[in-house]
This record gives sequence, C-alpha cells and structure tokens, in this order.
Amino acid sequence: MLSEARAVSLREFWLRGRGQANLMIGLAVTLLLIAVAVLSLVWTPYPINAIDIPAKLQPPSAAHWLGTDQFGRDVLSRIMAGARNSIAVSLVAVGIGAGLGVPLGALAAARRGWVEEVVMRFNDFTFAFPALLSAVMITSLFGPGAINAIIAIGIFNIPVFARLTRGAALSLWQRDFVLAARVAGRGRTRITLDHILPNIASLLIVQMTIQFALAILAEAGLSYLGLGTQPPDPSWGKMLNEAQTLMFLAPQLAIFPGLAIMATVLGLNLLGDGLRDLLDPRLRRLR
Amino acid sequence: MTLLSLQDLSVVLDTPEGPATVLDRVSFDLAAGESLGIVGESGCGKSMTALAVMGLLPDAARCTGRIDFEGRDLLALDEQALCALRGRCIAMVFQEPMTALNPVKSIGYQVAEGLRWHLGLGRGEAAARAVKLLDRVGLPQPRFSPDLYPHQLSGGQRQRVVIAMALACDPALLIADEPTTALDVTSQAEILALIAEVTAASGMALMLITHDLAVVWQNTAAMLVMYAGAVAERGTTAEVFARMAHPYTRGLLAASPGALGDILPAGRRLATIPGQVPDPQDRPTGCVFAARCARAAADCLPRPPAERVLAPGHAVACLHPHEEETVL
Repeated sequence: MLSEARAVSLREFWLRGRGQANLMIGLAVTLLLIAVAVLSLVWTPYPINAIDIPAKLQPPSAAHWLGTDQFGRDVLSRIMAGARNSIAVSLVAVGIGAGLGVPLGALAAARRGWVEEVVMRFNDFTFAFPALLSAVMITSLFGPGAINAIIAIGIFNIPVFARLTRGAALSLWQRDFVLAARVAGRGRTRITLDHILPNIASLLIVQMTIQFALAILAEAGLSYLGLGTQPPDPSWGKMLNEAQTLMFLAPQLAIFPGLAIMATVLGLNLLGDGLRDLLDPRLRRLR
Repeated sequence: MTLLSLQDLSVVLDTPEGPATVLDRVSFDLAAGESLGIVGESGCGKSMTALAVMGLLPDAARCTGRIDFEGRDLLALDEQALCALRGRCIAMVFQEPMTALNPVKSIGYQVAEGLRWHLGLGRGEAAARAVKLLDRVGLPQPRFSPDLYPHQLSGGQRQRVVIAMALACDPALLIADEPTTALDVTSQAEILALIAEVTAASGMALMLITHDLAVVWQNTAAMLVMYAGAVAERGTTAEVFARMAHPYTRGLLAASPGALGDILPAGRRLATIPGQVPDPQDRPTGCVFAARCARAAADCLPRPPAERVLAPGHAVACLHPHEEETVL
C-alpha cells in the first residue's frame, strides 16, 4: 500500500516539477552533461589525443566545430571526454564527503557530549586547511593525479556535510515532534533515520548539487595547477591552463572549456534550487 | 489499583550558575482509569513532572525519589526498557500541535509508526489500524486521508492526529501537557471532550497538566496544585474547589479570567499575585510561597510546611490555610 503511494507521488513529482523553469533547465543541462560523457566513451568526432600539428590552433570550422589546440587536437572531442572526468571527480568526491560527513554530523547531534566534541574538533581541524592547500599537500605526499585530487576534494567535503547535518539536526532535536517520537518510545538511531534525515534531505540534496559544482571547479583548479588530471588525459581545468599562454592567439581555447564549466555549474545549481522547491512539502503548491 | 506512584520525587538541574531545584519532594498516586489534574503557573514544575515520568529529563538533571509505574521503579530502568514503555504503556499529548507532528511525514505514517514499532504490525495492517484511529478521533475517511500532511490540517485537526498517535497502542496512562493551550476556544472544548471520552472508553488513566483551573474543574476527578516545584494543595476536585485552603490556590482562582460555575462569577475585576516565583537556584528555606503570601507569618520561614490533611481526600501544605468557605 505504501509502495503504491510512493509510485503515485513520483508521478506527482514529475507533474509538479514540469512547471518549474529552473528545475527543468537544470535537469536538461545535467542530463546533457551525462549524455555527452556517456557518448564520449563510445564516440568522439576525433580521437581524443590524436596530435595533428599542421592543423594546430584552428578557429571553429565545419571540420573542427570548436577549433583545435596547439597540438592540433580537436577541442570538442576533448571537452566531451573532459565531461566524463568532471562527473567522475564530482560524484566520488561528493560521495566521500556526504557518505562520511552526514553520518558524523547526525551522530554528533544525536549523541551530544564528548562524541560531538570529537567530531566537531576533527571538522575544525580539516577546515583549518584551505581546500586547495590540503589538496596540494595530499598530492605532494602521494603524487599528482586524478585519484589523489578526488580524495583531497572528498576529504574537504566531509566537514561541509558534517556541519550542515549537525546544525540542522540539532535544531530538529529541539522540535516537539522529535520529543513526541521519543515519548512514543523510539531510540536515537530510529529517530535519526525516520525523523531527522527526511527533514534535512532537501537541505542535503541542495548542498550536494552545490558541492558537485564546487568539486568540478576544484578539480579544474587542481588540474590548472598541474596537480590533478595528468596530460595527455583531457580535463577542463587542464585545458584552461594550457589556453592561458595562447589567450590572444586563440581565445576559443579558453572560452569553450570555460563555457563548459560555467554551464555545468549553473545547471547543477539550478537543479539544486528546483529540487529544494520540489522536495519541501511546505512549499508544494496545492492542486 | 495504583498505576503511577511518585514518592518524594526531587529533580535538580545542574546549570552553569549552580544547581537549580525544579521539583521538590513531589508525591502523588494515580489509580488505573482515574484522572488527575496538575495546575500551576509557568515554571512550577508541571511539565518537568511529566518529563520525569517519561524518563526524558535533560541530561543535566539529577533525580531522587521513586517513580513507580505498574510496580516498577522507572528511575531504575535503562534506556531500552524505557523505550519499550514509552508510547506502549505511557503516551503523551503535547501543547503545540503545530510542532508535535513531523512536517515531512504523512499523518497516516505517523499514527502507524507506533503500531509497527511497539506491536510489530506489518505495513498494511498498521495502515488500516491508523485509518480506524483517525476515524476514532473525529477525522473520518475519505475527507481526512492518511496521506495528508500536517500542514494541510488546522490546529484542532492536528491535535486530533496527536491524540490518535497517543492512543495507538492503547496505553494505560495518557499524559496531556496543556493540550488545549495553543488552540482556539471552540477547538479547546472539543479536544478536551475528546480526551475525556477516549480515556473513559478505554479505561485509561489521565494526567492533565494545565494552568487553567476551569479545565481541571471540568475534566478531572482529582487535582494537584503546584507552586515552585512543590505540591501546595491536593485532593478531589470537588473538595479543593469547595475549600480552596492554600492562599496560592485562591490567588490562582482570583486571577482566572473566565466564570467558573457558581464558584467564580463573571465580570469581576481580575486579581494578581504580587511578587515573583522564587529563583530555583536560590530557594527560600521555608515555605516557597511565603514571600508573596498575605497570610505568611514568622513560623512560615524556618522550614517548608508539612502537608496537613484537612478532610478525607484533601490536604494542604500550609501553616495558615484559609478556613472560611467563601472563596472571594
């Protein structure tokens, strides 16, 4: 009976969400990004790393829609493959952050006392290092590379989720309905799962989409510094880095990866906003 | 048979400014199926008493005394045993129905939750029982679908959902902590009538906490007047209202705005009680009400007055209680 109700509400979500411009645009951009990344696995206009020096630094043309770089590599192909990289980085990094941060924050709020102190001091410790600095530290310890960059970004995400979860959960623990649940005989774990997390789910989803966007930016930043994805693998940040010296000769080399980053981040933020409106039952429009 | 028995229950809260006594040797008995009203102003320890019975006092609270429920000392039980008891044997209705329900769960889910947890019912069975419970508290199908969310209901309707949740496992004791304070006047009478009706129908004991003497007058057989964490006066509701022996009880009555049967006429000038409730961190050694009491004398100050039985089923903790029958 309940699963039936859930199926109905999924259709309801779609019916209600259809009218929300920000949600639909965000969803379209995000799906396009995923589609491009999947497509790049099987097909790109040119091989990603094929060097063709005679055709270097070409402006956009029928043969190379977005032009070529200083080695004559097709920019469109590399941006498509870069999407794959960005998605992988952001998924894993946010997964690490939320997967560890949310339970830690929820635990701190439910247990209070010394458990909370330990969790929050660990958070402060992680926060004390600027994200990029700790990424530089990790990559210099374990060597530069996409995996280490992902781990570094993921670790930086943990306190973001832990703090958000703890703060929101603490205020919920003060609410009467949580007292009502305790009066009804539920333990702290059940209350956290049944009452606290569903109430902050919309908050977490919004934060996740923002962190997705930030992770993509952070990966671009690290690759730009030469600490992330290593050549010749394509990465949007790496492409920006290489375009820097050629800014006046071939501005399209900076513009297109930049646009890709901007569109992705904007799309994810719009998606987050739209989801928040959709998931909050208090904001639901009555039919 | 005694269902709930408090013996010399004291609660001290450790605050950064020092220990604060919020309950001072509170004792009372509540028999199965009986009703008890607890009256007093804000901060007198009414809600603390309820939380102590539930075992949900803040972590900084230290309890002494005994709370016996069905012959078991609740203060000696561990958290797991208390969880099995809460909601199953003792249920509670809260003051603020706007916040006592989880905003992101449907009302059907919230009513069914206790059934699934305590009685181990399956989803379908619990949902069917929840529908029956909603119907029982005056939220009939199909107008009040279990798929509704709390924000789609009015305050009175939400309080009915809270009552349905409390009734779910057919507890032996229902604690109602100011159940009508947040409701408008027309809903107040309905909700009180509903609580009286469901407790009577299923033989549930009722502990009704309120600051409103009229609510006690109309709804409970026995009553307890509390002041600053201590019991001032107790007895059957009829006896207490007939005598009003404690000066504080009289002060509370004189400060009630509404008319109250033939005891309290309408259209009088409202009285106030001068002074303030003593600071729980700095309680006087003698009678806690002495500083605000017109009848206080020198013998009130050295030690707290012991309870004196004035008549069968009526006792007062005062050295100079009112003797005369006229109340105002």
